[in-house]
Amino acid sequence: MSRKTERPQISLPVKASMLIMGTGQLLQRQWVKGILYLACFASYIVYLVATGAEDMVGFFTLGTVKGNAWLGIEGDDSIMMLLKGLLAFVITAFFIGIHKSNIDDVRRCDLKLKAGGTLPGFGKACSIFCDKKFYIVALAVPVAGVLIFNILPIVFMILIAFTNYGGDIVPPELVDWVGFDNFAKVLALSEIKDTFFKILGWNLIWALIATLVNYFGGLGLALLLNKKCVRGKAFWRAFPILAYAVPGFITLLGFKFMFSYGGPINYYITASGGNAVGFLDIDAGLKAKIIGILVNAWISIPTSMLLATGILSNMNMELYDAASIDGASKWKQFVKITLPFVVFSTTPVLITSFVGNFNNFGIFYFLRGGLYNEGYFLASDTDLLINWLYNLSIDNNYYGIGAAISLIIFVITSIFSLFTYVRSNAYKKEDTYR
Amino acid sequence: MSRCKRGAALLLTSVLVLGMTGCGSDAKETSGDEVITLRILENDTAKLEGYLDVLLNAFNEAYKDKGIQAVDANMDEYSDLAANGPYGYGPDVIYQANDKLMTYAEDHHILPLDIEKLDCYEYTPAEAWEAFKINVDGEVYCCGIPVNIQEPMLFYREDMMPENWQTEWDDNQNGVADFFENWNDLYAYSKYLRETDTSANRDSQYGFMSSFNNLYLNGEFLFSYGAYVFGKNEDGTLNSADVGLSGGDAATGLFALRQMAALMNEGCIDDTITLNRYEKLADGSYFCAVSTPDTYSLFISKLALKYEESGLSAADAEAKAKENLKMTELPARMPADGDLSKDSGKLSDDDWVETVVMGGVNGYGISSYTEHREACIEFVNFATSFEMIQNRMDMLGIAPTRSDVAESSGGVTDTIFNSLSEGRIYLMPSIKAVDQIWVPAQTLLGDIAKDPFREAKGETPKYASEQDIEKAIQKVDQDIYDAIYTLK
Amino acid sequence: MKKKRFLIGNCMDSLITHIVLIAVCIVFAFPVLWLVLASFSKSGSIYDIGGFFPDTLSLAGYKRLFTDTTMYDYPNWLKNTLFVAVLSSFLGTVLVILTAYTISRFEFKSRKLLMKSTLVLSMFPSFMGMTAVYLIMVNFGLINQLWSLILIYAAGAPMGYLVQKGYFDTIAGTIYEAARVDGATNFKVFTKITLPLSKPIIVYTALTQFAWPWSDFILPNMLLKNKDLWTVAVGLTHLDETQFTRFAAGAVFIAVPIVILYFALSKFLVAGVSDGAVKG
Repeated sequence: MSRKTERPQISLPVKASMLIMGTGQLLQRQWVKGILYLACFASYIVYLVATGAEDMVGFFTLGTVKGNAWLGIEGDDSIMMLLKGLLAFVITAFFIGIHKSNIDDVRRCDLKLKAGGTLPGFGKACSIFCDKKFYIVALAVPVAGVLIFNILPIVFMILIAFTNYGGDIVPPELVDWVGFDNFAKVLALSEIKDTFFKILGWNLIWALIATLVNYFGGLGLALLLNKKCVRGKAFWRAFPILAYAVPGFITLLGFKFMFSYGGPINYYITASGGNAVGFLDIDAGLKAKIIGILVNAWISIPTSMLLATGILSNMNMELYDAASIDGASKWKQFVKITLPFVVFSTTPVLITSFVGNFNNFGIFYFLRGGLYNEGYFLASDTDLLINWLYNLSIDNNYYGIGAAISLIIFVITSIFSLFTYVRSNAYKKEDTYR
Repeated sequence: MSRCKRGAALLLTSVLVLGMTGCGSDAKETSGDEVITLRILENDTAKLEGYLDVLLNAFNEAYKDKGIQAVDANMDEYSDLAANGPYGYGPDVIYQANDKLMTYAEDHHILPLDIEKLDCYEYTPAEAWEAFKINVDGEVYCCGIPVNIQEPMLFYREDMMPENWQTEWDDNQNGVADFFENWNDLYAYSKYLRETDTSANRDSQYGFMSSFNNLYLNGEFLFSYGAYVFGKNEDGTLNSADVGLSGGDAATGLFALRQMAALMNEGCIDDTITLNRYEKLADGSYFCAVSTPDTYSLFISKLALKYEESGLSAADAEAKAKENLKMTELPARMPADGDLSKDSGKLSDDDWVETVVMGGVNGYGISSYTEHREACIEFVNFATSFEMIQNRMDMLGIAPTRSDVAESSGGVTDTIFNSLSEGRIYLMPSIKAVDQIWVPAQTLLGDIAKDPFREAKGETPKYASEQDIEKAIQKVDQDIYDAIYTLK
Repeated sequence: MKKKRFLIGNCMDSLITHIVLIAVCIVFAFPVLWLVLASFSKSGSIYDIGGFFPDTLSLAGYKRLFTDTTMYDYPNWLKNTLFVAVLSSFLGTVLVILTAYTISRFEFKSRKLLMKSTLVLSMFPSFMGMTAVYLIMVNFGLINQLWSLILIYAAGAPMGYLVQKGYFDTIAGTIYEAARVDGATNFKVFTKITLPLSKPIIVYTALTQFAWPWSDFILPNMLLKNKDLWTVAVGLTHLDETQFTRFAAGAVFIAVPIVILYFALSKFLVAGVSDGAVKG
């Protein structure tokens, strides 16, 4: 069946596959592979006809018919159309990828056949591919999962930043593309600008202090537990683990109650004749910030202690013995030996922890939600950027603006952390370890 | 009223026509052997106290032959119809507060109704229907069926009334204690209780208690003095650009609030009192606390628990609690000059203003995404019938909007009903923008409530004069306006 | 003489160490103890308790938690949570281990890009994408499905591969090469050599992947409309404010499995974390 027209140009199977996926493979008598490719091709065409093409158009128009549920007019759901359009592009990109692999495959087989070789059966080809390109096979599912549930939502949110979605414009109203309007608004409105910089400043201080406190708290605890004189380490370690086991939001609600006016702490203060202290009320400011840092430490230190314990157990003890003989003080040993070792080996963890704290939503949402301070636009003086974003986009429905601000924050944080990460020892010396 | 009716009728006929031409599977189409199932979203208390079961069983019994069946939607009581309905996950009938329901109505998530056809129509006052009206392109539609009125009430234990109240605390000898009639006496009695508190920390005897950071529960300090949330346009619709919390003599009212806060403890600054009022009322340390009628059963159960601890059987304890726990409206008169400390006996009638509290109407709405509109109307009609509302009132202690039920029960229920129809309840505005008022207003109320405690600690007070308060409340109006309009 | 002083010094040191340790343990244990005792409070509320601890204890909170299920069906929530947490832990662990191993072991074109982009992506405020996740799930008809939660938890898991990658970096490449020379396929190398060597890190991963769905409430709250499908965390946040004892009892009860797991597996944990973190 395969007429081997020995032309110097592209052979028939390759041409066929370029036009219709899988046909080339069929011409090469690779039935299973051919049918699979063909099925892929067919289902893409079916998808395109059924909804795909429409979805792609919808991505640009974001709907033309306004719905009215009273009259039974099912209008266009702009936001859903945005998402479907996005999905259609992802599927198309995926299809193009498969198509490329199809052409590569048929071309390779073609060369092999021309060279007089025989093609391996489908099963064999599969197992060869799995072995040679193990990383592709292994990463396919994780990457696909991350793509759909992490990257797609992020891209979606980035796109929202360029629409007028939010405020009065929520379904059934139609949403439109507005270009950089939202960014212009954020930069032009003094309220927003002021609030943004105020919160950003506090957010950076918070992230720095919280990270350091958690990190060194955990390290200190681990060092303490590592001391030779401490017996029953498992027993001592149990307490921080207890703290870890209680779900975070429950811990936070518990702490909020403890520090409230009706809570036990104020109960003892008033019982001993003092005036109740507003730990978290509107004037609290610094008090609330400190409590936030301490509560965060309470929640995070157990994990960082575990981490530090592990790292310390990997250390070379001979260094210490040598240092002791040299007469170095304990403090000097810590600064010269322990610290460099621990810090250098955990830079990536430090970065993730910094970013985690930078975006720590729960602490102030639970401890001090429902307050707007003077001089802040829809935020309180303890709110972090992420809390402010939440107020803007979820509580007050300004999705477009919220998305624009989050995009700005995202760019800042990612440049910072990428820069630190790439310069970090762990990244640079990655290859020397292996 | 007639405009509302006409508009709804017009719309409904068009809806029905569409339904019959096969746009959706309307009730009439599936009336064969198939049973129509309606998903009903009620509030948690109704479920907890067993009222929902009573309602569903009664309905299912009555409509067995017609092939309609109602079930519990089994969702969170506050779940957002706008997020669930369009995708088919919402309930068919939803019971929520008027501000929430009307937010849905603005985006057409709940249906306009031909309310005149409902049995409860003539028994429900116009003010209650008003809460569910919406103006769309000049036509007024009604999108909800009122069920019960929510307003702040005073809860107290009858056995905690001062023994000599009839002689000492009832100057006008009308059989109602003065401290439930005007705020100056409520202040005076609270002050008396505080001064006679002999416990070591002076924390076992309080009078009036309320978490002042809650606008909804403490609106009387604003609305009695002429403040409003949103002004009205010429055509009667609400104008969200006109924010009026500082309107009238709002600052005077807030000065009274500041005065009252001094007689409470710091719990009035945050939501502590809102959370502990049930226990503290039961154990006697609060003489009276502010709450809404739908929390009646919570007060009862906490009080009953106390009696059970003292050795009563569960049934006796509950009976005793029900007998002892009383609910009354907030005192009807507030001092026009905002000074609660003046002797009420020396004030003439002109020195008072009528108390206007903030309130709401809870009711049913029908989801626009239901496939059985007719059946839903049957259901809400059934659920707002005399018997069901009566049942609801008996089981949940709510204040119905149906005049016949309110009348038949008399007492407090009837008073609440009258307050609504006589305009002593400022209803939560039924527009979306109302979402923006809560946090700014509550922040300020809490801050003012904190002022007396600043003074007590020797710190400089923030709101020493009415002018300070005036400025602050105007700032709140501006903030609310900004929150609504800055990002539009 | 010198030795004696040394001993006294040691003694002092040990004393101070233990004092500090006790202080730390109190700080960590106290709120937990408070929660536990509150769950045994008789009245069912924390506002009856004057200070930190209730006067009279009873099991009423726990009894109601498991018997009074008309409104708050805790046993059912527990069942749902267990289902979601176990399955997402399993799937998530498989994906994370696979990802970490592959990135650590193989050199390929877009490897560095992949590493950098995961770092950057983890920085995006996650709730901003929630609307999209909700719409995706609506689009695929996955609302009110416990499986949809498992899918999302497992799919998101590989983002946190860093510690695991660090662990695999410590396994000397020579072992693999020897096996490859012997003709083993990459898949075989993974199952026969890598997996047996990585028990500690697998345990660590499984535990962290278990703990997250076990206590998360944002995602299930958004995706599970039907109360029968709620998980413990969602249910607890919807408990009425006056039911604190029940809330505390529910909270204590879901903390117990995590504590037990931690103690049962603590040896693995420390080993897993340590090797991983060193080069993460």
